[in-house]
Amino acid sequence: MQPQKTEQFTVPIGPQHPALKEPSSFLISVDGEVVTNAIVRLGYAHRGIEKATESRTYVQNLYLLERICGICSHIHGTAFAMGVERLAGVEVPPRAQAIRLIIAELERIHSHMLWLGVGAHQGGFDALFMFSWRDRETVMDLLESISGNRVNYSANVLGGVKFDLTAAHIGDILKALDYLEERTHHYLKVVTTDASFLQRTRGIGTMTRHQAEVLGAIGPTARASGVLRDVRIEAPYGAYVDHPVTTITDDRGDLEARFAVRIKELFESYRLIREVLDDLPPGDIKTRVKRKIPEGEAAFRVEAPRGELFYFIKSDGTDIPSRVKVRTPTICNMTSVVKLAVGHQLADVPMILAGIDPCFSCNDRMVRVNRNNGSDGWTWEQLRQHGIEYYKQRSQDYDPLVVG
Amino acid sequence: MSSNLSKPWQAALDQITTWARINSPWAIHFNSGSCNGCDIEILATLTPRYDLERFGIKLQGSPRHADVLICTGPVSRQARERLIRTYEQMHEPKFVVAVGACALSGGIFQGCYNVMDGVENVIPVDAYIPGCPPRPEAIIDGIVKLLGSLQEPPADETDAGETIAAAAGEIAAAPHAGSEHG
Amino acid sequence: MPTSMTTAEAITLATDVLVNWVWPVEAAPPAPDRLDVTLKEPKELIPMVTALRVQRLGYLSAITGLDLGPEDGRLEILYQFCVAAAVITIRVPIPREDATIQSLTDLIPGAEPYERELSEMFGVTVVGMRNPLRLYLPDDWPEGVYPLRKDFDPSVLHNHHKEQSDAAAED
Repeated sequence: MQPQKTEQFTVPIGPQHPALKEPSSFLISVDGEVVTNAIVRLGYAHRGIEKATESRTYVQNLYLLERICGICSHIHGTAFAMGVERLAGVEVPPRAQAIRLIIAELERIHSHMLWLGVGAHQGGFDALFMFSWRDRETVMDLLESISGNRVNYSANVLGGVKFDLTAAHIGDILKALDYLEERTHHYLKVVTTDASFLQRTRGIGTMTRHQAEVLGAIGPTARASGVLRDVRIEAPYGAYVDHPVTTITDDRGDLEARFAVRIKELFESYRLIREVLDDLPPGDIKTRVKRKIPEGEAAFRVEAPRGELFYFIKSDGTDIPSRVKVRTPTICNMTSVVKLAVGHQLADVPMILAGIDPCFSCNDRMVRVNRNNGSDGWTWEQLRQHGIEYYKQRSQDYDPLVVG
Repeated sequence: MSSNLSKPWQAALDQITTWARINSPWAIHFNSGSCNGCDIEILATLTPRYDLERFGIKLQGSPRHADVLICTGPVSRQARERLIRTYEQMHEPKFVVAVGACALSGGIFQGCYNVMDGVENVIPVDAYIPGCPPRPEAIIDGIVKLLGSLQEPPADETDAGETIAAAAGEIAAAPHAGSEHG
Repeated sequence: MPTSMTTAEAITLATDVLVNWVWPVEAAPPAPDRLDVTLKEPKELIPMVTALRVQRLGYLSAITGLDLGPEDGRLEILYQFCVAAAVITIRVPIPREDATIQSLTDLIPGAEPYERELSEMFGVTVVGMRNPLRLYLPDDWPEGVYPLRKDFDPSVLHNHHKEQSDAAAED
């Protein structure tokens, strides 16, 4: 059923978000329930880090840049450290490279499980949210036992890593991976078979391969649309050179595919960690890097849990960088969200947003409708009819129900 | 509270209100430019391992329903206005808990051009929970301590401020609460 | 598909395409997996990017602004394209005063957020940008102040906010 009048409402969502993470603001124009346009406003978490790097030394910057994001802090540190090491012409010991990989993959596991919970919560499936976050604590315990901190573990130093893995750590990791693998099989089954959850994911927010390429989507979001974009494969760095990754792609491009791709990537991470632990190179875990970094420019790309993370570092020969440019994965995928939301139900917008695993998340509980004029909108009966039609299309018939 | 009641009735009513407030505070979380580290730890307190809800604390969406504002991040210039607005929308009595080094002083972002160096520069703060990020246990401990400070009903508002300030000082001065975790 | 291209092939193809395009350009590989192409005029940008697009060579990974300082009087804008492990950089030097560049959004819609960031952080006018609104900086940010320029002075902000609150107090 189409609404009788075409009225545009603008629904501001954000910046304050009831349960989840970072602030951002969306202005969503709707015609009835259908989204016709979406405008994003970022900057609520803009702190001026790129400028701040220009007044701190390389060592200080390592700690600052780790705090760009509390979820993928290790990968920011890795990208910066490896970029600086390339400028300094330093060869990092193989054991340090392997430990960097293990921590990066543990971080990917924790980030994907966190996202699974957030995505499930947006879909109204709080039981899955609680389960996945309970299991995520297993990874947090590992990271804590290795580094001493649950978040911002700061494993990197310029020229290597800070923490070595002991036999006890390795035993713990292997044990935890067995448990997580079993749980992950369960999650994969849930997100691909649970009928009510599939109604919120199957065919929603579909991005074709062509759209993904044109809009510049990256990371798991692009891979769920069949675009092979993974820096670990395209431009292997560190220990990924010796331990290649198998990519997981999916051609469907909808939310279900994004769930499936991320969960399947967990298996790949488990396999990779086991493989690296199996032949962990002996030797030093760090090498000395001079305080002053030779003049030059370096571009360094790594694969963060959310996609390609791009670092550009310019040195002028002092111990303070002249410019550090950070391009995070979320900004690439934001363009796609704004485009994908158009044509969908307003209620699907949080799911579509969560689907790219943004570094901020949105929740529809703070929606406030601004009526621009004295529009009469829909009557209750019209709304009821629309609801019945809507669910009929989704193979649920509420028609025989009588409202009192 | 209505002032038409006689003194003993008023006292009884106050006691009941305080009891209810301590046993079921509703909290709202506002991220004012944090790195997400504190935010995921706050969210982790809700999940089965820590289960904040067993203390009767509920994290929910609207400032109009909230008693406690849990605030993270160094307050960016863009978020400043919204933080104030959120705070103003809350009903009295309201309490603000600053979580994490950034919310306390700006932390590692102190002096950056787009931050206000801590929540207390924008709105009054009642309790400070240090850490980068604080462990979930520390966050729970901080909120429980804040609620504990309400235990004795204050005679007037000035006293309330002092009691909470003292409690806040105690929490801020305490060593990293994470070490208490066994 | 270019995804199957090796890094060395990508660098060779890019050198071939860009150097022998309409204008002669300076090209240098600072590292085996990099190619830096420096343009003489900002107007050469669109044809160069078109050349890359025609060859389906890489995707736009980032737009980086560099301020070479008030003494030098120039900004440099780096368009970084990635294919396999190769980073192909188109460097466009433009004057600091009256910094203007053409928008890439007609060729690459995904460039929009990068251009908005460039424009508000460095004060570059991007001609043809679809959405000129601010993306990162606060709503009450003073006009004409660009934080990533080398001569940015944070005390400007303090004074700006003081003026604002004084004005509010007078009202």
